[in-house]
Amino acid sequence: MSADLQPLMLDALLTGGLLLLLIADLFIKDEGKAVLADLTALLFGGLFAASFFLDTSGTAFSGAYVGGAWPLFFKRLFFGAGLLTALASRGFVAERFPRRQGEFYLLLGACVLGMSLLPGAQNLILLLVAFELMGLPLSLMAAYAKTEDAKGQDRDGAEGGLKLYVVGAASTGITVFGLSLVFGMTGSLEFTGLAAAPSSPLLTLGMFLTLAGMSFKIGAVPFHMWVPDTYQAAPTPFVAFLSSAPKAAGFAALAAVFLRGFGGAAEAWVPAVLTVTTLTLVVGNLMAIPQSNVKRLLAFSGVAHIGYMLIALAIGDAEATGVLLFYLAGYTVTNIGAFLVVNAVGGRDADVEIPLFNGLSRRSPGLAACLLIFLLSLAGIPFVVGFWAKLYVFLEAWRAGLWWLTLLGALLAVVGLWYYLQIAYAAYIRAPADDRTQPVRLDPRTRLAVAVCLIAVVGMGAWPAPFITNALDAAAVFLK
Amino acid sequence: MSEHILSVIVASPFLAALLIMLVPGDRHGPIRVLGFVGSVISLLGAIYVALHYDQARGGMQFGVVYPFIPRFGIDIRLAADGWSVALLLLTGIIMTAGSLASATLTNRPKEFYILLLVLVAGVFGVFVCQDLFIFFLFYEIAVLPMYLLIGIWGSKGKVAAAGPFKAVWRDLDVGGKEYAAMKLTLMLLVGSAAILVGMFAIYFAAGGKSFDMIALAKTHFPRDMQLWVFPMLWLGFGSLAGVFPFHTWSPDGHAAAPTAVSMLHAGVLMKLGAFGVMRVGMIILPEGAAAWAPVVGAVAALNVIYGAVSAMSQKDLKYVIAYSSVSHMGVVMLGAATLDTDGWNGAVYQMFAHGIMTGLFFALVGLIYERAHSRWVPSMGGFAKVMPGVAAFFTLAGLSSLGMPGSAGFVAEFLVFAGAWKSGNILWAIPAMIGAWVTAVYVLRATKMIFWGDGPSHEFHDLHDAKRVEWGALWILGTCIVLFGCAPRLVLDFIGTATGEYLPAIAKAAASIAPVALEIVK
Repeated sequence: MSADLQPLMLDALLTGGLLLLLIADLFIKDEGKAVLADLTALLFGGLFAASFFLDTSGTAFSGAYVGGAWPLFFKRLFFGAGLLTALASRGFVAERFPRRQGEFYLLLGACVLGMSLLPGAQNLILLLVAFELMGLPLSLMAAYAKTEDAKGQDRDGAEGGLKLYVVGAASTGITVFGLSLVFGMTGSLEFTGLAAAPSSPLLTLGMFLTLAGMSFKIGAVPFHMWVPDTYQAAPTPFVAFLSSAPKAAGFAALAAVFLRGFGGAAEAWVPAVLTVTTLTLVVGNLMAIPQSNVKRLLAFSGVAHIGYMLIALAIGDAEATGVLLFYLAGYTVTNIGAFLVVNAVGGRDADVEIPLFNGLSRRSPGLAACLLIFLLSLAGIPFVVGFWAKLYVFLEAWRAGLWWLTLLGALLAVVGLWYYLQIAYAAYIRAPADDRTQPVRLDPRTRLAVAVCLIAVVGMGAWPAPFITNALDAAAVFLK
Repeated sequence: MSEHILSVIVASPFLAALLIMLVPGDRHGPIRVLGFVGSVISLLGAIYVALHYDQARGGMQFGVVYPFIPRFGIDIRLAADGWSVALLLLTGIIMTAGSLASATLTNRPKEFYILLLVLVAGVFGVFVCQDLFIFFLFYEIAVLPMYLLIGIWGSKGKVAAAGPFKAVWRDLDVGGKEYAAMKLTLMLLVGSAAILVGMFAIYFAAGGKSFDMIALAKTHFPRDMQLWVFPMLWLGFGSLAGVFPFHTWSPDGHAAAPTAVSMLHAGVLMKLGAFGVMRVGMIILPEGAAAWAPVVGAVAALNVIYGAVSAMSQKDLKYVIAYSSVSHMGVVMLGAATLDTDGWNGAVYQMFAHGIMTGLFFALVGLIYERAHSRWVPSMGGFAKVMPGVAAFFTLAGLSSLGMPGSAGFVAEFLVFAGAWKSGNILWAIPAMIGAWVTAVYVLRATKMIFWGDGPSHEFHDLHDAKRVEWGALWILGTCIVLFGCAPRLVLDFIGTATGEYLPAIAKAAASIAPVALEIVK
């Protein structure tokens, strides 16, 4: 028994921690509930640290779950994202939703639990359950900013949440339908069994439906419509989380189903993925240009980044998968950092328009420098992590003979720089508005979270070798 | 010491930038001193390299390798050949003069010096880096800070909206600093995208094991691949070298940039582009270079003429100098395209000479603009009466620009034209010489209009000559023009060492390949 649960130690600890959090919530009075954020952060921080000491290799549930380097890489990513989100949400949640704080952190924890179970799943059922455990809390949290005060501010919150919920439900339906076709044609729920099945038209249809369903979740074009609306409407610290960790989980699911399950039938699905990739790259980058709302701009930029990551997925060998992991890690820290700065600058404003950033470098030089570094990392400029991530993807694409994607990607990266510089331009070159000349106020925990992101972005950019090696090793185990 | 000297040169501006970050933004004095010290250490390092470079032995010296990403064969390999020595000296001189010339800057000097020093660290890195990948990284570091440097500290020129696209011009704010900064960044980054693709092509064609440029230069690449990769590198790097028609960012950029940035950008950064074409394009892909040489040379000859004629019709002083840079960079590319010893020596020497000369020009233009608050040449006149020092140095730079014997510009242009003639490309040499004549026309005319004649009119009431540290920049650059004009061998010997090593392989390739049009038909 104990050997059986060994690979799930971290998940078991997380579940236990969440139960304790639930109990604690019952006994803490409304005024003191902000401490729950710190407890959640401690929980995630502890789990992140524990992931370096606990041995989580082995097999659980008769082979339905396998631990090891691959799930561990994702777990660290998710715990890290959870930690940053909990740190940065404290002030925001305590101020805006004073009576609903406990639930926010419980939902966050449940979502991370779902994500954390996902990468180790060896069969379709566990994969799907974990995926839904992640997805449902997300829709609830997206709707958190429903009408809170009499003036009707944040009335978009419900719309954003509903959109995510409906799209999520529909995409789950499509995924389940696709997977049921797959099961019908292969007679197997295990990924290893899928690989052995002969090809047939219905199986191909099942594959395409699964791809479409999962593309909704990661926000790939043409299934991306919910992304900007939800980002715009949802609480910003939560968007930081929504834009990063669930995307990584989506890629874990895609990698499990397509690279391991349908790895042998690559010629059937790779053209479809390449089409989606190209569309995602082009639409994401071009649609970001006209956005004046920073959250929408970052939403489309996120779509573009999904496109870059899909290149690695389409190549699909162990090395490209390792590069995908590195990209996910780099994107997660960068994007969380960027959204946290946006949250700090936006303050109580529901709509964070670019002019709000005017003169930021004179109001808060440090924060502006952080923002600039995050933006440069998103744009893929040398010596920050985003550069290496893009570069490795381009290298892999070239190696796989997809030189045209390298060229397209490199040109679109220039387009990307254009819209990221719009924000940097406002922050550095424009003068501050007359009513906004004071430094931006940052609570210490957000400050800490931004600092952690900054260190990660600069550190992984200055010395990428250990991180890429770790990612490549994890991927090598996964596709062995 | 000597094995780490190149690391010191590259790291010292960068460390100075880090130290400046720790200084409070309102302490202008320490910031300036740190910026100056960081540049001077690099200059002293460059002089040390020049003194200790063993010309008899030649080749790469002071080599050092730091492993970076072994998995992809990326290492930080620093080493200097004769070309590097010359260009390190140039960068050190220009940066030292530039930090003196910006001593009067009062608008956010902290951020200014940080960006400027990071940019210079990138420039030094490009000149001594022997790993293709890190070369590209340094190149990007040298290009990107320009956006903020121009966007924040730039100035707006007087560009009258004209022509059928008048409305679009006004909407885009052509001539404004934001327009210039964005145009420069985007155009150069499209060039970078082309370089990236070319770099990958080279890396994978060589087996995907290493980015070591010395090993890559020894690899023989398939001819078809060379034929399509070389133009990518030529246009990619060439966009920074101001190759026609990708030069249009340069006049706007130089005109809008603040003084020290114009000095560095025209004086050093454009050289990175030409250096990249020669160091990466021509040496690693000799057959591609030989096949494309007629195109490269013809475009370069066009550059010389077009740049000179454009400079002649400008009325904004900074635009005059900026277009003259486009014209002079054409001379560099022309020398490179000759694939001849004299031509190549002349090309690298022109990088050096033009760097010093245009650095002096932009320093002077900065001084004039700061005092006159105008760059509009027709409104000036008689300035020599109140700023005789500035007038003297402007004339000196002008004489070097038009290739007056005894100035550094003469040596360079003479070598390039001789090389073009010797390699049988008289058709390039003649337009280039006409270009040099047009240069004489616009330089002398501009000098006359600004400094001689009646005036200065009462709108320029607070003109005065250079002051204190500003003299430093002028004297350093002015002395260099005369010194390297009268004793060119001080630098030319270094350049010749490297040229002598690289050229035989290229000459061999040139003998085996027809011009690109014929090759494609085949």
